[in-house]
Amino acid sequence: MAKPNFQVEDLHVSIEGKEILKGLNLHIRGGEIHAIMGPNGTGKSTLASSLMGHPHYEVTGGRVTLDGQDLLEMSTDERARAGLFLAMQYPSEVPGVSNANFIRQALNARMEEGKEIPVLKFHRTLQEKMKQLNIDPVFAERYLNEGFSGGEKKRNEILQMSMLEPRIAILDEIDSGLDIDALKVVANGVNSMKSDNIGFLIITHYQRLLNYIVPDYVHVMMQGRIVKSGDAKLAEELEAKGYDWLKEELGIEDETVEVDA
Amino acid sequence: MTEANTVSLQVHAVSSAFQEPEWVLRLREDAWQRFTEMPEPRLEKTDLRKRGWETGTFVASPTGVPESVRHYVNNLDHPYALFVDGHLIEVKHTEAQGQQGVIFTDIHTATLKHESLVKEHLASVVKVDDNKWSALSLALFAGGIFLYVPRNVQVDVPFESVHVFTAAQSGTYPRNLIVADELADVKFIDVTFSPEQKEKFTSSHVTEVVAKAGSRVHVGTADEFAKGATYFVTRRALVGKDAVVEWTVSDVSNAFTVELVEDILEGTGARGETRVIGVGYGRQHMDLTASMVHRGRHTESDITMHGALRERANSVFRSCTEIVKGAVGAGSEQHDRMIMIDRTARADAIPMLLIDENDVNRCGHAASVGKIDPNQVYYLMSRGIPQALATQMIIWGYLHDSVEALPSAPLRDLVVARIERELSR
Repeated sequence: MAKPNFQVEDLHVSIEGKEILKGLNLHIRGGEIHAIMGPNGTGKSTLASSLMGHPHYEVTGGRVTLDGQDLLEMSTDERARAGLFLAMQYPSEVPGVSNANFIRQALNARMEEGKEIPVLKFHRTLQEKMKQLNIDPVFAERYLNEGFSGGEKKRNEILQMSMLEPRIAILDEIDSGLDIDALKVVANGVNSMKSDNIGFLIITHYQRLLNYIVPDYVHVMMQGRIVKSGDAKLAEELEAKGYDWLKEELGIEDETVEVDA
Repeated sequence: MTEANTVSLQVHAVSSAFQEPEWVLRLREDAWQRFTEMPEPRLEKTDLRKRGWETGTFVASPTGVPESVRHYVNNLDHPYALFVDGHLIEVKHTEAQGQQGVIFTDIHTATLKHESLVKEHLASVVKVDDNKWSALSLALFAGGIFLYVPRNVQVDVPFESVHVFTAAQSGTYPRNLIVADELADVKFIDVTFSPEQKEKFTSSHVTEVVAKAGSRVHVGTADEFAKGATYFVTRRALVGKDAVVEWTVSDVSNAFTVELVEDILEGTGARGETRVIGVGYGRQHMDLTASMVHRGRHTESDITMHGALRERANSVFRSCTEIVKGAVGAGSEQHDRMIMIDRTARADAIPMLLIDENDVNRCGHAASVGKIDPNQVYYLMSRGIPQALATQMIIWGYLHDSVEALPSAPLRDLVVARIERELSR
């Protein structure tokens, strides 16, 4: 199979009539890790949610394609089956639906009818991956995210990613609220998946995560678009100097476009 | 008086069909008298004025057992009694009973063979003058079981009654009486199958439970009421010292139903737990009250009601906790959640706390009515699960714990199949 090829061209997105993303471009190929950094309120999470097709966000212009297919024409579930994955900042809790059942339904949704993954094989794979991510085996039968701590929810997102093997994975502030040990576990999970068959987009506030997941490209987002791109060194520079030098360099006074983080 | 005379013939027809003793006929006649004399009840949120009180005619000989019901009972490996239009078709006994002095028989036979036990307890918990439909039940009851578990006898397998209603010209009046003596432990299952009815007959179903000191009773039900008739359903338990009564009640209907599930927590340390699963569709009107009356000291109760409504279903789910003066140290929680699946459905969740005692241990309620959380749907869809399946998974998830609490595997399968049928339409 060819390497994944994910392209975002001139993306414009609004929430309730207010434009948040104002012409964003991004090109991710299999094997690459891209990081998007930026202060709060610059449109990072809007980018993640609108790519996944959250109904709250309205795409008003631009193109998004995965392997040549038009993602914007697809519903959220179709995008997922096309190979897009979003590890969410605040995943929902769904009482009464076990983690294992949820992941199995998600996998089976990708299979043709009658070719569903055998139950035993599924559980063996799930337990292996849970072990790698340091997740207690009982979490398989716990209700989806219900009563999980912040760190447990994040690890659970990574577990789903490793079970579903997407072609493009977006991690939206996967590092927020994690202690250093949990951060390492999450980073290991991502690094162990790295291959030409998957491209990553890591959205983060802090450079800390990028010590453990080394990006090939770093983009800085302000005012709803990417204002500067570079390699891993850019992230280190931002960590050392903060965002203000960049704002000064670019002549930006207010970098935000939205009130919520 | 013509009305009373005409239908009092019905009372005699029922009583003679079951060859009941004279004292039962007297009870019925007295109940009929009260039924005709009682004023029209007024219910908040349920308009009975257009429903009428037609009782239909008693069916003297039942038709056959429908295939789906035959299939269901054939899969039961615990004791059961099968009734068609109030007539006993068959009773299956297993070794679980008999040898320990357990009595499991139809209510009519019980009035002959176990007269003193029945006399003592019949209409002692759901009384003749509670309301118009409790009087109606005692006047016309046909079918139902008598279950008696002696002191210190614990039975693992459940006892079950299965009612099928096929007659289009009659209301339905099953009446169950369950008596758990001290330290007894028993499970009872009550299942109904009913067809659509063209006529607006009135039906009254009653289950009364006497749970003596230290006993445990769990009643699981699966009702399926079709449109047409008016169904009054009364399920009440009198719970003695340190006894526990659990109800897991399921109703998948499009009928006009007024139901009460109530525990009278009489003895010190008595405990009640009620779970309700309500799935309404069509033009269903359901008025369901889960009630706990705390009379004893240190009594505890929990109510959990989950409703899912489709089409033009309109439901009122009330949870009511009453703590009377003197019931010190009582504790109670209510959790009610209604999901309206279709825009046209309507639900009310009404929590009620009536507290006359100052010394209360815990007392809480949480009620919500709404649509399915769109963020949950989005989350499931973001993993590739199609919207329709995502919605079903969320509804199942929220009914899951209550369905799991139903006391037998065939009952769970039946309820799951009924809910699935209505969710996937």
